[in-house]
Amino acid sequence: MRPHPTFTREQEQQMSSMPSDRRDVAAAPGTAAAPDATVATQAGTGHSMTVRGLDAYYGDDKAIKNVSIEYRANQVTAMIGPSGCGKSTLLRCLNRMHEEIPMARAEGSVLLDDTDIYGAGVDVVSVRQAIGMVFQKPNPFPTMSVFDNVAAGLKLNGVKGVDMKERVEKSLRGAGLWEEVKDRLSSPGIGLSGGQQQRLCIARTIAVEPRVVLMDEPCSALDPIATLKVEDLIHELKQEYTIVIVTHNMQQAARLADTTAFFLLGEKIEHAPTAQIFSNPTDSRTEQYVTGKFG
Amino acid sequence: MPERPRQHFVDQLAELEERTMGGIDLVVMQLDRVLEALTHQDVELAALVVADDDRLDGRYLEVHQGILSLLALQAPVAGDLRIVAALLHVIKHMERMGDQCVNICKLIPLLGHEPPVQPAIMERIMSMGRSARDETVLSRRAFEERDVGLAEDLVRQDREINRLNREIFQLAIECGTDADVREWGMTMVMVARALERIGDNAVDIGEQTAFVVTGLFREFSDSSHPAG
Repeated sequence: MRPHPTFTREQEQQMSSMPSDRRDVAAAPGTAAAPDATVATQAGTGHSMTVRGLDAYYGDDKAIKNVSIEYRANQVTAMIGPSGCGKSTLLRCLNRMHEEIPMARAEGSVLLDDTDIYGAGVDVVSVRQAIGMVFQKPNPFPTMSVFDNVAAGLKLNGVKGVDMKERVEKSLRGAGLWEEVKDRLSSPGIGLSGGQQQRLCIARTIAVEPRVVLMDEPCSALDPIATLKVEDLIHELKQEYTIVIVTHNMQQAARLADTTAFFLLGEKIEHAPTAQIFSNPTDSRTEQYVTGKFG
Repeated sequence: MPERPRQHFVDQLAELEERTMGGIDLVVMQLDRVLEALTHQDVELAALVVADDDRLDGRYLEVHQGILSLLALQAPVAGDLRIVAALLHVIKHMERMGDQCVNICKLIPLLGHEPPVQPAIMERIMSMGRSARDETVLSRRAFEERDVGLAEDLVRQDREINRLNREIFQLAIECGTDADVREWGMTMVMVARALERIGDNAVDIGEQTAFVVTGLFREFSDSSHPAG
């Protein structure tokens, strides 16, 4: 595991006791690498997140009410719900972006594996390096080249001792963009198409080798073809990362997610395997929402 | 503005269910004619049943196409998806029940003008026919009212049909050495078999009712591994 320089020694020790690399398990004699997500969870390369009793506020308004939820390693978890249900607020709490909003605060615990990211002494910047985020609208740095856009994440986070060219290529390949941009790395990132820009932003996010990738409606500004490319990419990315995605597109949640959580008025109503949410939800409010009867 | 979100879809789904239930009504009508034709050896009525099967086949195609369109255009999920999936099964069972009515009516002309009717067998055939009709009506009501208890009761009624079927088979074996009587008896075994299958289809519709309500599919009775 890559050591994280800004976690405390105790936190590092907690994280280093996590499951071994899945490839090691697959290589072990008599051990088959199972394709399903459940096995990947047990011995994956990714990391789980656990939210316990989280409340989030905007001033006096409580936007998240005592939410507890687990995001399993190497799985895609979709969060759905009507506008104002708190899903984006919860997403921002997962890498402490919520507290950047004036008067906003969060109470409760959010664990990355066994480490509380709201714990005393935890460096916020290191949290955001470990838990990256992709936003609704592609936001490449407008004055930077394709190369520099990807390298920016590394430079801004002060990552040293890596071969920048190698890391940029690896990230662009990871984002499924390398073949499309390898001959124009010095061209402005802003000159790419919308879908390419979003994948560029994903490359920038994974360049710092996060544990978890958060996505806030990553395809809502893209055309259908670009959307499908990003969805294919998310399928690929979950082999390496734990992914949490907020989406208003329920078909996208159905296509992408291993599990889906439904939120309403700041509360988590139901979290279950996606097939169950869309075929036989337990809560009548989930049923009403996914069938389009309200929202 | 529509009364509520997705009102058009809700209306389309309700209409598809209504057309499917109407298909079961057509089966009941056909069954009434089958029993009438059997009682009176009415070849013309039997021919009408065969001809009218086109209406059931047409209903099947209509509902099937409607379901495909709904799946393609409306992407139903959750409870709506279960209803759509169940209707696909129910309409198929309806079509198969209609085919069994045709199978019986194609046998009637083969019996001749004055067949050597054996009362013990004929009484049981009529009893089976009435039970199959009752089961069909009950399966429709259970689905329409989403009544799992009523649907499960179909199994109890179907046991009676199965019992009568076995008795008819035994009576046909024991019906003597006269060739005409034996031929009539064997034909009644085939009629009984068709009625027994209609009862099974009604139970299958009951199972779809339970699926719609609970979200879990389970066979009410396991014919592959019968208890006891």
